[in-house]
This record gives sequence, C-alpha cells and structure tokens, in this order.
Amino acid sequence: MENKGLKEKYIELNMGPQHPSTHGVLRLKLLLDGETVKNVEPVIGYLHRNAEKICELDFYCDALIYFDRMDYVGAMNMEVGYLEAAEKLLNIEPPERVVWIRTVMAELNRLASHLVWAGAFGLDLGMLTPFFYVFEQREKILDLFTEICGSRQETNYMSIGGVYQDFNDKIIYKIKEFTKQFPKKLDEVYNLLAKNDIFISRTKNVGILEPEVALDYGVTGPMLRASGVPYDVRKAEPYLAYDRVNFDIPISKGKDVLARFVVRFEEMRQSVKIINQAIDKIPDGPYFNPKARKSLMLRLRGEGDVYARTESPKGEFGVYLVGDGSVKPYRVHVRSPSFKNLSILPYLSKDVLIADMVAISGSIDLVFGEVDR
Amino acid sequence: MAYEVKEENSKDGRKVLRISKESLLELMGDIKGSGYDSLSLISTVDFRDRIEVVYHLTNSRTEEMLAIKSETRDSRMPSVTSLFESANWDEREQYDMMGIIFEGHPDLKRILLPEGWVGYPLRKDYDLSKVQYVNMDDEGNDRVSFDPGDGW
Amino acid sequence: MKTGDSGFITTTMDRAMEWARSNSIWPLTFGLACCAIEMMAMQASRLDVSRFGSEVFRNSPRQSDLMIVSGTVTKKMAPRLRRLYDEMPYPKYVIAMGVCVIQGGPYNQGYSVVLGVDRVVPVDVYVPGCPPTPEALTNGIILLQKKIRNETER
Repeated sequence: MENKGLKEKYIELNMGPQHPSTHGVLRLKLLLDGETVKNVEPVIGYLHRNAEKICELDFYCDALIYFDRMDYVGAMNMEVGYLEAAEKLLNIEPPERVVWIRTVMAELNRLASHLVWAGAFGLDLGMLTPFFYVFEQREKILDLFTEICGSRQETNYMSIGGVYQDFNDKIIYKIKEFTKQFPKKLDEVYNLLAKNDIFISRTKNVGILEPEVALDYGVTGPMLRASGVPYDVRKAEPYLAYDRVNFDIPISKGKDVLARFVVRFEEMRQSVKIINQAIDKIPDGPYFNPKARKSLMLRLRGEGDVYARTESPKGEFGVYLVGDGSVKPYRVHVRSPSFKNLSILPYLSKDVLIADMVAISGSIDLVFGEVDR
Repeated sequence: MAYEVKEENSKDGRKVLRISKESLLELMGDIKGSGYDSLSLISTVDFRDRIEVVYHLTNSRTEEMLAIKSETRDSRMPSVTSLFESANWDEREQYDMMGIIFEGHPDLKRILLPEGWVGYPLRKDYDLSKVQYVNMDDEGNDRVSFDPGDGW
Repeated sequence: MKTGDSGFITTTMDRAMEWARSNSIWPLTFGLACCAIEMMAMQASRLDVSRFGSEVFRNSPRQSDLMIVSGTVTKKMAPRLRRLYDEMPYPKYVIAMGVCVIQGGPYNQGYSVVLGVDRVVPVDVYVPGCPPTPEALTNGIILLQKKIRNETER
C-alpha cells in the first residue's frame, strides 16, 4: 500500500466494534477495492479485562472465576485447563470420581459451546432458523448445569482437588436422558444447514487453509483438524479420563469453511460418545481431596513453573503458571486458542468478498473473553 | 553447535532448555528444523531484576512439547517472527503487557491496551493506584490521559 | 384509561404514546461479553422475549430504542459505547446487565475496566447477576416498560 496512487482507489472501512457478525467486540479495519477485501487489520483489546493481573492478586482457588469468564461459552473447559496446571503446581491429586465427573462436564460444555457456534454461524450467513434449534438443546444442557452447579453459564463448579457438588442418581439419569435424544436433534440442525444449497455455495472452497500455514500461525482445534492435521490434546497428551474412553478425532481434507463446520458437528457426535461411556464409569468415592478442602484451600503453596495444555472447544488451551512459594500465583499466562486463530484472519481474507470474510471469521469461532482476557 | 544449551528439570516432566538470549535465534532455527514446527506460546515472567521469556513449542508429528527459557535484563529480546508467523501477535502481546522490545519485529505496537497507555501492567512494579482514562478523537484513535475529566 | 359504555376508550395522547412505546422496544444488538450469550438466550427459543413486545434486535443504533449493555465495559470500549449511545434517537433507554456493568464486578480491582457504565451513559434499569439469568433480564425489560408507562412505584 505504499503506492499513493493505488491507495486512493481503495476505500477504508471500519467494521465494528459493534457489528452483528463480529461475535462481540472485534474491530476490523478493512481496505476495500469495491467489494473485494484487499487488507484486514483486526483491532482487539476492547474486552481486555486484566484477568492475568487480577489472578496474581488473589489466592490460587480464586483465579478460577476469571477462567470461567475467559471462554464464557465453554466455562468448564477453562476450569479444567486451569486446574490441570494448578493441581500439578500444588501437588494435589484429584480423586478418581472427580476425574470422571470432570470429563462428563467438560464434554457437556463442549456440546454447548459448539451449539452456540452453530447458531451464530448460521446467523452470519443469514440463516435465522438453526439459531432457535440449537438454543433449545443448549438450554437443556444449561438446565443440567443449574441442577448440578447452581449456575447456568459461569458455573465455577470445579475447585482445586475436587468439585463443588457430587453427582447423584437423578443427575446421571437426566444426563442419560439428554444424550439419548440429542443425536437426533443434532442431525436435524445439521440437515437444516448442510442440505441447503445456499449454505454450501457460501462455504465450499472459501477460506482455504493449508496445514503448513496453519501450524506456522499456531492455529489449533477444529480449524487445524479441518485442514487435515489430527492434532488433539485429548489424544496427544491425555488428561482427565480421555485415555480410558474410546473416541475418534474427526479430521477433514476439505480445508475450507465447510470442512470446519463438518468437523465441529462430528466432534459433537464424538462428545456424546464420550459422555455415554464416562457416565457409566464414574466410580464411587469422595468428590474432593481432603488436602484442599475449605479453608485449607487458602493455604496451598506452590513453587516452580508448570505448563498444562488441554483441548478447549476452540483449540489448544494452555496455562503457564508460576509460583514463588506463597499462597498466591506469581504469574498466570494463558495461551488462548481464539487469539491465535484470529491472527490468521488477515491471511485468509486476502482478495475475498466481504461476505466471504464474514463466513471465514464466523468459522474461526471467536470468543472475545478469551482473545482479550 | 556454537551455543551452549543447559537442560533443566521441570516440575511436570516437560523438557526445558535454557539458552542465553544472544544465541536464541540460532537454537530456535535448529529446533524448528528438527520438527518442532509450531510455536505455541511466548510467556514472560517478571522477576524484578530480570525478565524470563519462555517459549513453548509443539511438534505436530510426535505431538511433544518443548520449553525454551531465556532471560533479559534490559527488556530487549531478539524477535522470532522470521521463523514463526505466530510469534507476531504473541510478541506484541508481551510488549504490551511486559514492555519487552523484540528487536526485528515488523510491527511492534500495543495490541490489547490502547495506544498511548503509560506503563506495562503485568510488571510487578506497575502502580495500580494510578488510574488512566481513555477517550477517542474524531479519527477513532485512542487518547490516554490521567485526567478523570477527559475520558472514562 | 377508561372504557366508555359504547365501546370506545378515552385516554390522553401521552398515555397512548407511552403505551405504544413501551410495547415495541427495539434493543440494539450489542453484545460485549459473557452476558451477551444470556441476552441471546433471552431472545431465543424457550425464553422468547417477543412475548413482551421487544422482539426485534436492531443492528443499527439509529433504529433502536434500548441499549442492553451486556458485559464488562473496558476503558478502550467506553468512548465507542458513548458514541453508539449518542447515535440512538430519542427517547432512548439503557439497561445495565450484570455486575461488571454496574460496578466493575470481579474485575474492579484491575486497571482497564470502567467501574460502572453509569459513568458513561445514564442507566434506567440495573439487572444484577454474574451473569443474570435470561429471566432476570426479561424482568428488567418489564420493569423498563413500567417505567416508560410511568407505573413504577417510587
């Protein structure tokens, strides 16, 4: 853009921070040639809530509520991510029952997160109907959460070395009831979207991402798997009970927006499979570790540094935690998958139409609590 | 190999290498050649007298992780953007939060906080009691001041 | 309002206007953070807010009456929020949704969060919670309707 004569041909356009298809508070500085995007510069930070700084001011157990609010659509997975790191640092081992309960909850929340994505993605492409279908199912998951945790979305359910409340038979029955009816409803939503010619033509061969480029940009999660790289932390470095359940990693060779859509839906089917297996395997036993119970939780001390990676619905979620031997974390740093996945948007949006750029940014699955933290 | 690498033990069984910042780029190039093709995360830790910079890399084939630690005392580090594209935003974030100047970065500016913010918030000596206020001019650019009457 | 014997209604013009206005509140599609998802849930199936006459979420501030500030307002966002508010036509209303918007919430000891959106724009209804349930937000909208109709108890 150094050529002055050229620059006058282009239009500079601001998209956001308030825009229906930026999924929150993303601002895009566009350089347009007619309707073709020549350059995109994402401007982020409109939801920078200093979570990492506040974590340093509080006890180890208090940091959880800020993690809940990072990826606010998949709060359980954030909690799992933080606890994987914190429990390693503080040498607290969760009991076996807790491990299985956490697996079930994390997968339920993965379903909820992907459902919201499917609804919002439909909205991006101008389809309102799937939105109502997915929210019906999501409300059912949130009802389960309300019953188990007492809260709908930001659950704050897990704690260091345990969970806040035990599962009982009624809950297990209800989760089974839910997973029984879910696959059929999921197919309904899938058909609503994927059997629509307009949807196919809007997504097929749009935003092609080669695997080498994706790795270079640090893209992970369904985005990377849709480019054909079978990298999933649940298999690569199993945490919780993922090494003791059967599931596949869906990958696609399509590399485009449609492939990401298909991969996410297949992931939901796999999640149901995991829940069905895990719910039967929950062993009896305590639901907390007595070493980190109640006021003891405030006296936990950790020294050294740990890095834990987990698979959040958006991709690889990493927590780098440093302790200095006091009761508060010395440094908390988060590898947020949305942040990395967003950084590829300028690359993917070169010379595409504005409408296609919206489809691409929709397929990234952005959550701004996590991008900006 | 012309550089000196020290292997360290870590609490969670990760492989950790420590290197001086002068030979960081060289090591990173070799590591990338050996299969660690994705840079996961660049973190920084402020130890008051020095700032530790930690690079976490992933090997997409064997799915292993590797941590490389380096440290700086004058808040300057060589940029690894020439090797990994993903370092671009990571280094901007660390510049924004910790004030480390990555030499050789193509576009080093604040990413999360508004342009013109005073201080680097994740440093241990950052004064939280000094409140800054942000306003916007007609062009849409941010303006930061310490005056509560000007901005929010 | 009074119903006459022969089937007509007498009222003042103001009353009629207020009644009409209160039952067609068009909120602005303006999601900031976590609360935005609950705002979407309020609009979606099961808790359909259009039963109470505010179904149309408008994408442009120039077509909307109500701004639901759903989620933490950061210092970087506050000037933009003010500009959006200034672009809305009169009469306009603001609902502050969630504790972050009311006083900073869990983030109020930090450096980059505005401690209450009422420092930026005037607020009509506060809905506490972190995040508030969609039912609570629906209640907030009903309260706002009462306020528009001058029916609130003081």
